[in-house]
Amino acid sequence: MGLEFLARVRRTTGWVTGLAALWTATYASPSLGLAVLLGAAWSLVNLFLLEKLVVALTGPWRSERSARRRLTLAVAGMLALFVAGAGLLARVAPTGALVGFTIPMGVIVLKAAALLLLPSKLWKRVADATPRAVGLWVALLLVVVVGAGALVAHVTASGEDSASTPAVTAAPSAPTAGHGEPGEEGPQKFANLLTVLSRAFPEAPWARFLHHYEVVIFSLLVAFLVCLVAYLASRRAELIPKPFQNAVEAVVEALNDFIVGILGPRYGPRYVPFLGTLFIYILAMNLFGLIPFMDSPTSNLNVTVGLALVVFVYAQTIGIRELGVVGYIDHLAGNPRTAISWGLVPLMLPIHVMGELAKPISLSCRLFGNIFGEDMLLVAFVTLGITTLSFLHLPIGLPLQLPFLFLALLTSTLQALVFTVLSTIYFLLMLPHEEHGSEGGAQHAH
Amino acid sequence: MDFHAALGWGLPVGIGLAAIGSGIGLGGIGSGAMQAIGRQPEATGKIQLAMIIIAALAEALTIYAFVTMFLLQGKIG
Repeated sequence: MGLEFLARVRRTTGWVTGLAALWTATYASPSLGLAVLLGAAWSLVNLFLLEKLVVALTGPWRSERSARRRLTLAVAGMLALFVAGAGLLARVAPTGALVGFTIPMGVIVLKAAALLLLPSKLWKRVADATPRAVGLWVALLLVVVVGAGALVAHVTASGEDSASTPAVTAAPSAPTAGHGEPGEEGPQKFANLLTVLSRAFPEAPWARFLHHYEVVIFSLLVAFLVCLVAYLASRRAELIPKPFQNAVEAVVEALNDFIVGILGPRYGPRYVPFLGTLFIYILAMNLFGLIPFMDSPTSNLNVTVGLALVVFVYAQTIGIRELGVVGYIDHLAGNPRTAISWGLVPLMLPIHVMGELAKPISLSCRLFGNIFGEDMLLVAFVTLGITTLSFLHLPIGLPLQLPFLFLALLTSTLQALVFTVLSTIYFLLMLPHEEHGSEGGAQHAH
Repeated sequence: MDFHAALGWGLPVGIGLAAIGSGIGLGGIGSGAMQAIGRQPEATGKIQLAMIIIAALAEALTIYAFVTMFLLQGKIG
């Protein structure tokens, strides 16, 4: 068992601890989850120092001075660690901390057992034949599910007897569509990180602030991520691009071609930065909701109205800048040139003004409705999946939402595209054009 | 029939009607675009772009009904 075995143990422990802490924080209480996390962290640091100690004592440079210094450091660190561990046990929930302490040990034991088992003849006989391996997996899964179900049912029953907090019913991450809490407005969506925080600390003002402004926070986070990707890709631009730069360049080039193809080579390049950014930003926001514990900012009407208002104001600005004030009013009046069309101005002017005002409404409602509906669809099917397996008393469900996740990918991309294309066409309608007047816009796309 | 019962009946039926209308519209758009592509395969890109835009416009009507349903849903119970 070399050092690389220890590195693997550390990695596995990190994953297991993260999951266990999350699970405990969700289904038992946040402080218990924190205790598990701290306990495992303590144990990992302990393991790390032990490793250093052993290396310093038995390594090839054990007689040198640096090894002795490292030895002293490791011993001192372990002493400090034990003091910290005592303080930890006194401060946080001892059960959680103890569970956390044992996680790395359990991982080591299981990994060692696997190392012993894997080369053995029995394992080879089982693993070589596919039906036997599948049968073993299914049996293992069944045992785990039923055993854990029995355990959880037992724990919940005893917990309800002693009138403590019911574990499963307090689950914040289980979607409770339909019957929202009194404080919440409208139908419930998936719990995201900030909702979980605000439920874990219902009294704290900062948690309430985060929950209240979660849409703003998430959209800023998305904007930051998009900026980060753009910065990283263009920081050291090379003539022969690396894969990352290449991918981003391909996206930018495709957007550039697409928008210039609609707006024409004269006006196109000027509006590519705005419209392309709009597409990337909306796409990122739409897809952000598919990440667990995140939320699509675009499933909130305020965000989409903001985006649509930006497009609306920009389109009017373009109209006034490119056509002049007189030309803009002339455009709104339907470009009257003949006597008949002058006579129709009192009719055409209100229609065009109404049409302009309807554009942001339809843009924002379309984006919001699609993304929100997609979220609601997922919530409905997750709820259905959980209800199907609710007899197990386990926080698991059938993954009935899986096909709809692919649908969500499709609608996310399509709606980002539609928003961008419609914005482009609103810009196009505002730009001076030879054969003006037709409202369709799509036939201008040459 | 009181207000709540009327809303409880009307919302699902309304969104269904809107979906029927949109469905007919989308079918027409799709069939027209497919025929156009079949006649002129080299114009596929432009036709698809126009099709997506018009499909989005047609689909938006159902989305309006959907949003309205969610706005009024809380008033049923």
